Amino acid sequence: MTAVIGTTIDAPGSGPAAPRGRGRRQLTFDKISFFAVFLILPVIGYLSFVVWPFGQAFYYSMTDWSGFTSAMKFIGLKNYQTLFTDDTFRKAMFNSIKLGVLLPIITIGIALLFASLITVGGPSRGRIRGLRGSSIYRVVSFFPYVIPAIVIGLMWSQIYDPSAGLLNGILTHLGFDSAKSFAWLGDSSTAMIATMFVIVWGLVGFYMVLFVAAIKGVPAEIYEAARIDGAGRFRTAVTITIPLIRDNIQTSFIYMGIIALDAFTYMAALNPIGGPDNSTLVMSQDLYMTAFSQTNKFGLACAMGVVLAIITLLFAAVVFLINKLTGGTNEVAE
Amino acid sequence: MTTQPQPMQWRDYLNSGPVERRTFLRGALATAAMVPLSGFLASCASSGVDAPSSTTSAGGAGSGASVAPSGSAAPSGSGAGSSGAPAVDKDNPFGMAASSSVDAVIFNGGYGVKYTEFAAQQVEKKQAGSKVKVTPTTTISQTLQPRFVSGNPPDVLDNSGAGAIGLGTLRDQLEDLSSIIDVPNYEGKIIKDTLYAGVLKPGTLDGKVVALNYVLTVYGLWYSASLFKENGWTVPKTWDEMFELGGKAKAKGKYLFTWGKEAATYYLTLAISSAIKEGGDEVRLALDNIKEGCWSQKPVQDVFTAMKKIIDAGYMKPGGSGTQFTAAQAQWSNAQEAILYPSGSWIENEMKDQTKAGFTMTGAPEPSVTASPKLPYESLHSTAGEPFLIPSKGKNVPGAKEFMRAMLSHDAAVNFAKSTFSSTVVKDTIPADGFGSTALVSQVAMLKAAGDHVYTWNMNDIYGFNTQQLVVWNSFLDGKSDVATLTKGLQGISDKVLHDDSVKKVTVS
Repeated sequence: MTAVIGTTIDAPGSGPAAPRGRGRRQLTFDKISFFAVFLILPVIGYLSFVVWPFGQAFYYSMTDWSGFTSAMKFIGLKNYQTLFTDDTFRKAMFNSIKLGVLLPIITIGIALLFASLITVGGPSRGRIRGLRGSSIYRVVSFFPYVIPAIVIGLMWSQIYDPSAGLLNGILTHLGFDSAKSFAWLGDSSTAMIATMFVIVWGLVGFYMVLFVAAIKGVPAEIYEAARIDGAGRFRTAVTITIPLIRDNIQTSFIYMGIIALDAFTYMAALNPIGGPDNSTLVMSQDLYMTAFSQTNKFGLACAMGVVLAIITLLFAAVVFLINKLTGGTNEVAE
Repeated sequence: MTTQPQPMQWRDYLNSGPVERRTFLRGALATAAMVPLSGFLASCASSGVDAPSSTTSAGGAGSGASVAPSGSAAPSGSGAGSSGAPAVDKDNPFGMAASSSVDAVIFNGGYGVKYTEFAAQQVEKKQAGSKVKVTPTTTISQTLQPRFVSGNPPDVLDNSGAGAIGLGTLRDQLEDLSSIIDVPNYEGKIIKDTLYAGVLKPGTLDGKVVALNYVLTVYGLWYSASLFKENGWTVPKTWDEMFELGGKAKAKGKYLFTWGKEAATYYLTLAISSAIKEGGDEVRLALDNIKEGCWSQKPVQDVFTAMKKIIDAGYMKPGGSGTQFTAAQAQWSNAQEAILYPSGSWIENEMKDQTKAGFTMTGAPEPSVTASPKLPYESLHSTAGEPFLIPSKGKNVPGAKEFMRAMLSHDAAVNFAKSTFSSTVVKDTIPADGFGSTALVSQVAMLKAAGDHVYTWNMNDIYGFNTQQLVVWNSFLDGKSDVATLTKGLQGISDKVLHDDSVKKVTVS
């Protein structure tokens, strides 16, 4: 109904719009079935499995729901007030943000470096290629990504074991006596760094492969031209590679940020109780413990979930903004 | 860069390279942005399908008492089932409906679920035609949460493990179980008379028995009797003797204690027990009622100070705060790098596969501060664990009670002791040889020596302190914090609950 009225009003004013209006009227079976399968079903799925739970969780976050009753009391924003006066949660939030800022930079930095070396960092004569024999690393560094995160976590918690771990075994063998029985995950000065190392180790291969594919998509002529103009490897990487694959970098950055802000699997395996002085406690872990440990505060846990979601969205917004400010406007914001 | 002269048709999108990539990326970014929403929040929310039914049952909750009488008013046996009122006699004291089935959800942990299946068979034999379905799970809370919300809980559950549901959370939805102990067991003895003293206490909140704890746990210091004999060591009865023993162990290249990061609070259990022994009931009551300043009581402080002396002397195996707890326990039971370990009597079963041959694991009471404590040295921290709960909204409450009656009968209790080397709350089920377990024999001996001097405390279970306490205890055992910091940390944790009006307190006397 409204569509018909809309077109009749539009039609006299704008000639070029007419063909589109005619197209809209011809609702063939093909078109309708296409809409149903590709638009309506996904939208219904999206609304019921994403938007509805989101709204529900937001509502729960304003109740005192214990998680085991059918009744709950509405308490407004009290849970949020509790959260931001809670030292443990603030610490978890700070840790999460720390991971969210540092992990993407480190992981993507290393992945970019490796990807450049493998694809364009090779000899400066002949065709554009990577360092000799380096393509083996494309395979090797992808290995950790094939292993599930929980296995990586468990494996490294054994490697870090103070008394029987591989790491301390090697270090003491090399003569570092202070490494004897040193608890890498049990000392607040090293726990976070040790944990971050594991996450980077597990994911760097994936982003490297992603960047290798992106760099392969850049025409070799551009690199050749740069080489003829006398650009070194570093200059090539900074002024040719990065600008040409910045879309991939941005996407990777956001994905990596989300993994870092969550980090639950790695933390649950490496430091299930939050690490020494809660130095590796992250929000997702605090959320889990609040909901499922004996305190059973699902309302509060939902409030944590909402805060985590907001931080993640803010993170994505900041990445967009930075990309825009550094000149990526045309590439992405279109 | 080309500009777009006019809006493109969707076919054009597919045909043009760069735009396609851009569109893809935009889609990818949108997806990326949605990941946190769907992931974090969906995991927090209950499913959309549940919501309407939960509101329905919320409406019905007020009149819940009138909805569920078929279960809760069972002893009279009036409304149970269409097959007519079942006879309530000594063979069917709860009036379990004929040919009804019981839905039991059992925590599948250190004790397994075989022992409950044994009791289930007993019920099926006793009540012909009945059926008991045992569902094992390792995550009680996650498995049962939707069922509690939708008002469809199991008939009976074993609420144990890391994912146990807080008793305080569930207490209003649970059946009072005191009626179970007043009936005769399968051998004809009144159940009440067959139980160890005080085993109902941990499951009793403000006078209501909400949980029946099935397994008797004795806490103490565990050691290898053969190793002690070989070296001529004796188990220390005071903290001063403990310090001396630490020196002797060091001379042999061994440590006094070891600890794992998830089990650092075993040392808190040791400290509290020792302080109660030293200072008597008033120490216990102050702690259990989370009084202000309860951690600054002199006996508590004396124990902390004695522990600090041991830690500073280097008698603790370093690195515990980074060691997984079973790995740490193996350092004691298998590698024998440490000679003592504070734990509950489950330790033998837990370390069964990692105990050195000829270890002869034996338990001893915790030390006191001075040589003349208020409670005798033999007094013991013992409590009952593995809480079995019966939700009032379960479909077959009489059947669930019948199941508990079978569990508390002699045969089932002996079967449990034999298969797990642990004692149930039922007395006289362990032979003199302890089925060949030295730990089980010493456990019975310790209980006998303690007599009436058996104590326990529940504040950690009721208020869920453990997670937070682990943090301060790991630092303390690591030597990174002093007694004052430890005290301040513990007091902060309990004060937070004390001053939180939303937490219902349980008064202990």
